[in-house]
Amino acid sequence: SRRKRARARHKPCALKELEVSVSELGLGYESDETVLFRYCSGTCEAAVRSYDLSLKSMRSKRRIKKEKVRARPCCRPLAYDDDVSFLDTYNRYYTVNELSAKECGCV
Amino acid sequence: DEILCSLAGPPSPPGQDPHGWRVPVDCVRANELCAAEPSCSSRYRTLRQCLAGRDRNTMLANKECQAALEVLQESPLYDCRCKRGMKKELQCLQIYWSIHLGLTEGGEFYEASPYEPVTSRLSDIFRLASIFSGMDPTTNSKSNHCLDAAKACNLNDNCKRLRSGYISTCNKEISATEHCSRRKCHKALRQFFDRVPSEYTYRLLFCSCKDQACAERRRQTIVPSCSYEDKEKPNCLDLRNTCRTDHLCRSRLADFHTNCQAPSQSMTSCPGDNYQACLGSYTGLIGFDMTPNYVDASTTSITISPWCSCRGSGNMEEECEKFLRDFTENPCLRNAIQAFGNGTDVNISPKNPLHPVTLLPKMEKSPALPDDINDSNTMYDMSIITTCTSVQEHGPKLNKSKEQSLCYSETQLTTDIMPDQKTFTDQKADGSRHRVRGMLPLAPILLLMLEL
Repeated sequence: SRRKRARARHKPCALKELEVSVSELGLGYESDETVLFRYCSGTCEAAVRSYDLSLKSMRSKRRIKKEKVRARPCCRPLAYDDDVSFLDTYNRYYTVNELSAKECGCV
Repeated sequence: DEILCSLAGPPSPPGQDPHGWRVPVDCVRANELCAAEPSCSSRYRTLRQCLAGRDRNTMLANKECQAALEVLQESPLYDCRCKRGMKKELQCLQIYWSIHLGLTEGGEFYEASPYEPVTSRLSDIFRLASIFSGMDPTTNSKSNHCLDAAKACNLNDNCKRLRSGYISTCNKEISATEHCSRRKCHKALRQFFDRVPSEYTYRLLFCSCKDQACAERRRQTIVPSCSYEDKEKPNCLDLRNTCRTDHLCRSRLADFHTNCQAPSQSMTSCPGDNYQACLGSYTGLIGFDMTPNYVDASTTSITISPWCSCRGSGNMEEECEKFLRDFTENPCLRNAIQAFGNGTDVNISPKNPLHPVTLLPKMEKSPALPDDINDSNTMYDMSIITTCTSVQEHGPKLNKSKEQSLCYSETQLTTDIMPDQKTFTDQKADGSRHRVRGMLPLAPILLLMLEL
């Protein structure tokens, strides 16, 4: 199972999806409606550039000390899905935009 | 029973003009055929000029107009129909009404539908099957079917996109005085109902409810605060007149009357027991002046109405009430909605609700029916699988039409598998037979699966 876990951790950055209720989103809406929540998950090892290596080196040599820097590419949405509308428990309609990822990438 | 296999195309019915004049084509195509013929095209031009800005009586007083109309009754334009959601639908309907406004008396209560009859049911069976296969029959009574319908839509990208499209449009406040843009809201609703398969849209519109929260959700489906309700309730006949000035609204209303008008013989069901056709033409009214909706969130009784009343009808009170009752107290519509909600349309019922309609219901002063009722849908029937349609006898009026089954590949298969499904009922006192060839709706799918 250790090997399985390790393999799972090494999955490259990709779009994943989850069926969640609107209330679970934690945006403050009360609704039992289910929406599809797509998110980005995975590692970005293949996307490491000379930039990341150099930045890491600068940090370890203490040339960069105080600033907050990220020496590793990050799996994030490159584009967001269309709007999502739903009816809440008080029979009001709401539309939420940029709720769900459409495309992922290492940036 | 006369069984006609139609694998090699539909058979030519007896009495059909060999030139194919009586084969119903769509009006855009009919217009092209007419334009290719000098005599037809000149008469058609004349008729359009006759009709422009004149009522029927003034038009018919003119000899030239009358002659043009007579000649055009022999042309393909006379029998042409349109298809919902077809390319150039509006153009097709304009052509249709340009002829038919001259043919009808005007001010008729019911008008014949310019849409071709719904005969191709195979895709519908697939759709319904896919809906109810996902529905656990043992779900507890607490389940909210309307919420499930919203979930199914949200999980489908196309449905979700177009649903959000109309909800955000209909919910968008324009200014402090203007609560929303009704015109844009209607347009977005039409897009939703035109472009999203009915397996999603019907589920949202016609879900069955056991509690009020569910029924209120069902009532809210079309965002009624913008698309339905208005500051004032107009008189229903005034609303009908407004609708009839618009070719699309007029056509959808005529289609609703054609498919949801309970036949006079049985006050409990739909023309040809075709629930699908009735639900389809009901849905077709959404996004027009005659947009219907549930009047309340009652779980026990379903009451549908357009946003109008019969106040101020004057001496037309009776006609107004009659018009309104076709929505509020329509047994066909109510049964169709309930059958869909309960999923009974896919189960075998003695009435066999999957019977396709290929005949127009009996209507007041309706234009003559085409002689052939077999091939009305062949122009569009692009499906590889030949559809199985049956035409039931409609009393003595059309007694030459035998019951026919256009079958899947081997008709025998159907009857062999389900010998009990062949029912024969004596219905009416006048001795005319009403035959129902029952088909377990899922059986064709099984057969197809075996073939694939």
